[in-house]
Amino acid sequence: MKKYLIKVGGVEYEVEVQEIKEEAQVLRTEQFGPALTAAPAVPVAPAAPAAPKSASAAAPKPAAAKNSNNVPAGAVKITAPMPGTVLKVNVNAGDTVKKGQILLILEAMKMENEIVAPSDGKIADVNVSSGSSVNSGDVLLSMV
Amino acid sequence: MRTAEKISGLMEKKEKIRLGGGPERIAKQHEAGKMTARERLDMLFDKDSFIEIDCFVETRSIEFDMQKKKAAGDGVVTGYGTIDGRLVYVSAQDFTVIGGSLGEMHARKITKVMDMAMKMGAPFISINDSGGARIEEGIDSLSGFGDIFFRNTLASGVIPQISVIMGPCAGGAVYSPAITDFVFMVENTSQMFITGPQVIKAVTGEDVTFEKLGGADTHNSVSGVAHFKCASETECIEEIRRLLSFLPDNNLSDTPSYRTGDDVNRICETLNEIVPDDASKSYDMKELIETVVDNGDFLEIQKYYAGNIIVGFGRMGGNTVGIVANQPKCLAGVLDVNSSDKGARFVRFCDAFNIPIITFTDVPGYLPGVGQEHSGVIRHGAKMLYAFSEATVPKINVIVRKAYGGAYIAMNSRHLGADMVFAWPTAEIAVMGADGAANIIFKKEISASENPVETRNQKIEEYRNKFSNPYVAAARGYVDDVIEPAETRIRLISALDMLASKRENRPSKKHGNIPL
Repeated sequence: MKKYLIKVGGVEYEVEVQEIKEEAQVLRTEQFGPALTAAPAVPVAPAAPAAPKSASAAAPKPAAAKNSNNVPAGAVKITAPMPGTVLKVNVNAGDTVKKGQILLILEAMKMENEIVAPSDGKIADVNVSSGSSVNSGDVLLSMV
Repeated sequence: MRTAEKISGLMEKKEKIRLGGGPERIAKQHEAGKMTARERLDMLFDKDSFIEIDCFVETRSIEFDMQKKKAAGDGVVTGYGTIDGRLVYVSAQDFTVIGGSLGEMHARKITKVMDMAMKMGAPFISINDSGGARIEEGIDSLSGFGDIFFRNTLASGVIPQISVIMGPCAGGAVYSPAITDFVFMVENTSQMFITGPQVIKAVTGEDVTFEKLGGADTHNSVSGVAHFKCASETECIEEIRRLLSFLPDNNLSDTPSYRTGDDVNRICETLNEIVPDDASKSYDMKELIETVVDNGDFLEIQKYYAGNIIVGFGRMGGNTVGIVANQPKCLAGVLDVNSSDKGARFVRFCDAFNIPIITFTDVPGYLPGVGQEHSGVIRHGAKMLYAFSEATVPKINVIVRKAYGGAYIAMNSRHLGADMVFAWPTAEIAVMGADGAANIIFKKEISASENPVETRNQKIEEYRNKFSNPYVAAARGYVDDVIEPAETRIRLISALDMLASKRENRPSKKHGNIPL
């Protein structure tokens, strides 16, 4: 059992920390993300042993919000292969497309590059419009 | 014991060995969609040509009750045979015997045929289907792996080495394929990885399936570890035989020559129309290659990886050529980290085995971007320059369209020792694109102008007309001739004939230091 003195917004809290071997991995994967959201909860629940629990409960939420990036779960993200400007978007959300169909034209290296559907499917979301500049790796659209 | 009994005893022993791990395990192997080691070899070699050696070899280990698990052959079938009448050595791991695991004697069988392949100068094929190192044999199995890697390295550039993954290939076992020239994988039944999904889960917390981590798709399209992806084992064996038809037996022998029946004076009219009028439009470089080579027969290597460069084998006038070409349809045909690695490795294979190299150039440059710079596009891009400069085989370049800046130099240019450089009239050989160049050279005029946009366009047009063509380079002799696209095949075959007796030496040295 270790004792820490923590100052949050000018208020000092005395926190006792106990190392639990089995839970070590769970704590590690959550890293530092949940600490901020957990902090306001401390005055309400000063009991030290409760802290890890509230932390793990709060953890998944901010993580999920950050990763979503307008892509529905299970969708295939189609990303820009290189930096450039979107010249033309040929599809809308909800369209059904065939493998190899041209989804949009990306102007890069002074060339019109065809971005094609990797498989048959339906367009879930279009993240860019004609004129958008994109970096390599940016999500152009997603398919389900 | 009478002689007749001794002979029948031998027959019995051999019959038992032929059955490997027994009918039950063989049935299991078939259920998994896999053939047994011996079935694979029967299909790979010409009918009845495969001769097994070392079938009586078994483990010497007595630790952990290994003497009870003893199996003749020790989990691998080795020997030699002919493919299209040509000698080839082989090792094929037998998953039905102790999981094909690699122990001391198992490895010794493999190294024995590798040594023979080296002495006789014949290709070596290794079929992998193994649970990995045999833990019971401890450090002796590690020694076995090391012995194989060492020979793989010595044989590199002396005999063609082909690895075929037809099951698991995990841990240390992956490094033998990695050193060899070509890696074949079969969809859904083969996997390669250093550490498996369970270890990854425990160490980094990542969840991943075997197939996603190291399946045929992954290694053919993401990592670039494998060169061929096949839908079934049968298709895979056909592809191996096809690849061998392009390769010489060793670094001192000629490539096999075929009567392909395709006219060496064939005019390719369609090539006159393949390059679009608008320079910002792409076209399919593969179409160009297939039009030029004999009978359209082109064996593409690493088809699913770094599609912006195309590499593979074809024949011209019946003889093997290695082809390297930019693909404008993919990433505008730029050179980047992955395409440079892919291109350079192929060029070095061709050079090691005396296969002439033909390049088709349409490259806008090296790919700009923080990601590329930070991934070391300088170091990787340098491999292309190094590989072409180092190569002493006949080198012919056809500049189809764009050849800009450093990428122009990298793509088998005269400056790196190309023997013959042709350009199509559509070629644009310049230090950079007209837009960029005009912006820099005429910066003052453009900014001082009352109508900067118009002046800029005017200057771009001026630059384009003056420099974006093949004639400036041809006037300096950097291009040997500007040719009509339709006569490309005729001119290439003529150049290959002319270069057949090429002798070029490099300073003697232990080896160079290619930027890895």
